[in-house]
Amino acid sequence: MYTLRRWWDRHRLRVILASLAVGSALLIRQTQATPLFEVYQLLSRAFQPNLAKQNLLESAQDQELRERLTELESQNQRLRALLGYVSEAKKPGIKVPVVGRSADHWWQQLILGRGSNDNVKAGYVVMAPGGVVGRVTSVTPNTSRVLLLSDPSSRIGITISRSRFMGYMRGQSTSHAVMEFFDKVPDVRRGDVVSTSTLSQLFPAGMPVGRVESVNLNKSPAPEATIELSAPIGFLEWAVVYPHDPATQPVVEPGQTPDQKSKQ
Amino acid sequence: MKSESLVGTWRESPLQRLVVNCAVTVGSLILCLLILPTRLPGMELAGIGPNWLLIWVVAWSVNRTMFQGALAGLVLGLIQDGMTAPAPTHILSLMVVGILTARLRKGRYIQEDFISVALIAFGTAVIAETVMAIQYSFQADRSLVEIWTYHQLIALSSAILSSLWAPVVYFPLNRWWQWIDSLEQQ
Repeated sequence: MYTLRRWWDRHRLRVILASLAVGSALLIRQTQATPLFEVYQLLSRAFQPNLAKQNLLESAQDQELRERLTELESQNQRLRALLGYVSEAKKPGIKVPVVGRSADHWWQQLILGRGSNDNVKAGYVVMAPGGVVGRVTSVTPNTSRVLLLSDPSSRIGITISRSRFMGYMRGQSTSHAVMEFFDKVPDVRRGDVVSTSTLSQLFPAGMPVGRVESVNLNKSPAPEATIELSAPIGFLEWAVVYPHDPATQPVVEPGQTPDQKSKQ
Repeated sequence: MKSESLVGTWRESPLQRLVVNCAVTVGSLILCLLILPTRLPGMELAGIGPNWLLIWVVAWSVNRTMFQGALAGLVLGLIQDGMTAPAPTHILSLMVVGILTARLRKGRYIQEDFISVALIAFGTAVIAETVMAIQYSFQADRSLVEIWTYHQLIALSSAILSSLWAPVVYFPLNRWWQWIDSLEQQ
């Protein structure tokens, strides 16, 4: 007992300091480093790109193309309505600055400068000029963390826009990803545009992802294609976050229209 | 004049000295943590920046015991897990770094200067990334070929950058800790 007492007297300070350090580290881990990211956001505010200026810089041609796209989209919506195909209207996105990247080398993540105070929630889809870049995995009041498509752990169902052949894509930690087809002999060519598929639960269908760079049909067990992601994942300055709730995404089973599903 | 009086009060009151010492240590750590998500131009190679937490653990463990090195690795690993994702954990790699660094200095194989600290940072950065790669290999989430080709890229870039930036953290922090030690012994 006495030796224990003496040991405590001698090492009291160290033990207290060490347990304090471990305790606060645990706290930071359990809160997903919320206080750290809040301070980071506060400090990086001065260096964030000016979003209003970005809007002004978008060229007139871009504007024109966008208007034509809106026109076509609304036509498409009307035609779908005529066919009895129900789809929800596109919700407006939230424009956010990109303030940081992953805090280690293995994960491909982004830190965005808006969080739950601006109605960003986990599961929301992140778009950048060019296409989808990833999905929000966790939020703090003023920042949010995005898992990029280029991360090897993110898998996403995609489809070839031209021939509608489907497969899934997994990241390669670079601006290229690998697509594995579900079919043995897919109709795919170099340069084909790739978008998210209707089978994808985490992403809404029909969002642009990239284009096919090379095809390897002899690959076993399934044919593979290398996809070049169209968004410049390496140097993003801002992104747009779109609301998306995976739970409400209609899952259409083969031989069933969405209408039948909703009636069940 | 003012600094003289400050040193005087610190010499007389150990509690104040302790508080200031803790504040400087924790402050330097927070600085390292905050710089971690940034990729400043000129500070990255192929999208990979220096491993600031590893540099801090090396700077901390150089003149300390193995247990203290492991403790620093545990604390920083927990924080980094919170900042990225908990599986696979960063605790293991940083603890190995802390223990190895303390062990190297204990053996007195290496003299204490800029170059040797840069060398230690280089070696431990490679080891830390290897520990991570081994954990990924056990996870069976990605293919082994993918893991180890990527490991080559990041181990080398992170080792080069960490060793180049290590003196920036090591030198002021070590000077500070030595100074506090000398005050304590007076």
